[in-house]
Amino acid sequence: MTSSELSAQRHSFQSWDLAQDYYLENGLSDGLPVVPPTPEKVQAMLDYVGLAPGAIIGAEPIRQKQFTAEKLAINAVMAGCLPQYFPAVVATIEAACERPFNLHASSTSTNGVTIMALVSGPYAGEIGMNSGVELMGNGNRANATIGRAVNLVKTNFYGSVAQEMDNSTFGHSGKFTFCFAENTAVSPWPSLSEHQGHGPGSSSVTAVAANAPLQVSIYGDKRPETFLTQTAHAMLALGPTVSEVVVVISPELMAYVGDAGWTRQQVQEFLFQKTHRPLREWVAWKRLDRPGNDADLSQVRGPFADSGRITVVPGGGMAGAFIAIISSWGSSRTVSSPIKTRR
Amino acid sequence: MTIPDTIMTLDPRDEGSPGPAVVAPRPASLDGKVLGLFSNNKPYSEELLRMIADIIAERYRIKGIVEHNKGNHQWPAQPADLQALAKECDVALHATAE
Repeated sequence: MTSSELSAQRHSFQSWDLAQDYYLENGLSDGLPVVPPTPEKVQAMLDYVGLAPGAIIGAEPIRQKQFTAEKLAINAVMAGCLPQYFPAVVATIEAACERPFNLHASSTSTNGVTIMALVSGPYAGEIGMNSGVELMGNGNRANATIGRAVNLVKTNFYGSVAQEMDNSTFGHSGKFTFCFAENTAVSPWPSLSEHQGHGPGSSSVTAVAANAPLQVSIYGDKRPETFLTQTAHAMLALGPTVSEVVVVISPELMAYVGDAGWTRQQVQEFLFQKTHRPLREWVAWKRLDRPGNDADLSQVRGPFADSGRITVVPGGGMAGAFIAIISSWGSSRTVSSPIKTRR
Repeated sequence: MTIPDTIMTLDPRDEGSPGPAVVAPRPASLDGKVLGLFSNNKPYSEELLRMIADIIAERYRIKGIVEHNKGNHQWPAQPADLQALAKECDVALHATAE
């Protein structure tokens, strides 16, 4: 394909600086400089995955938006993506457009969540993603730009612009970018992608309407019961009405999980049960406003409807006994989508 | 790296048509109309809607009131709820509150 098939409005500038100024001054950025999206760079992105410019990747019915491959590619170039990162961007938007993700409401809420992309499977290693030291931090181009591209699509294309459609009370730094990979090298389990049913050797991205991560420091003995109990206690801070949570377990702790022979489902179920507390406790802490006049306050309630809403992945650097908790917005479900390098 | 004389770039915004956004025709009067109250389930939204309905009832001879609750303010209304409202009432009020 040639770039002449691209239909987006074209702008011309006499210098890179002037192009940069245009995107920044017109609010077509997250506040940081962007890569000016030339037709050649955008076409290279599309060619890599074999998508026509007009291919519809997803649709959102409330704002009647149809996400085209061309617009995704433009934003991916602006974010600094290499073409080989584009399959992850496409898969994340595909997932975020599924109804359970509730893109419209999660993009407008005062709650201030971002679209987080959790990549699982061999694709992550193939494009050089970071699943180890500082996996949620800075320094890795794939992590940084895939997450940035997704959020540029949300602002530039979908219109979730701060102080306009996006009314986040606080927001968080993950709204610039929030993308990392599962550390399958230290995992005794099948990959998250396989666990999600995408098949052996598959790669997937899990889109999460994510709050900022909460890091739990683990003390005491290293039996899974011990550090998962500490984790469950931290999870209670999320309140009784959280939709989902992603739990990232550091390699040091994953070794203990593996030695003890715990499965992913066992970890999920343990956290699910441990976070169930009597209604009277939630009421006493004012986390429940209206339990109902006839409610039995001795009944237990947890933050999550079922253990499947607790996504557990290994990740992070080898040193450190930490667990990260990433809660989702209350009316959004995490959605996974297979990563297809060719379409 | 050779810097070209003119740089061409593409626009990242949605340039598609937003589709038709049709506003229902407004009745000339609420006299004789059935009023629908459609709560989004936010705390006190039903109370607020009823207060507004009381004020309307003082000003117009409304035929009746029907109430629906969409169950969660964070989700779009279900088509079945909207169809039921359309069938049961002539005008509807939707509200948020807290």
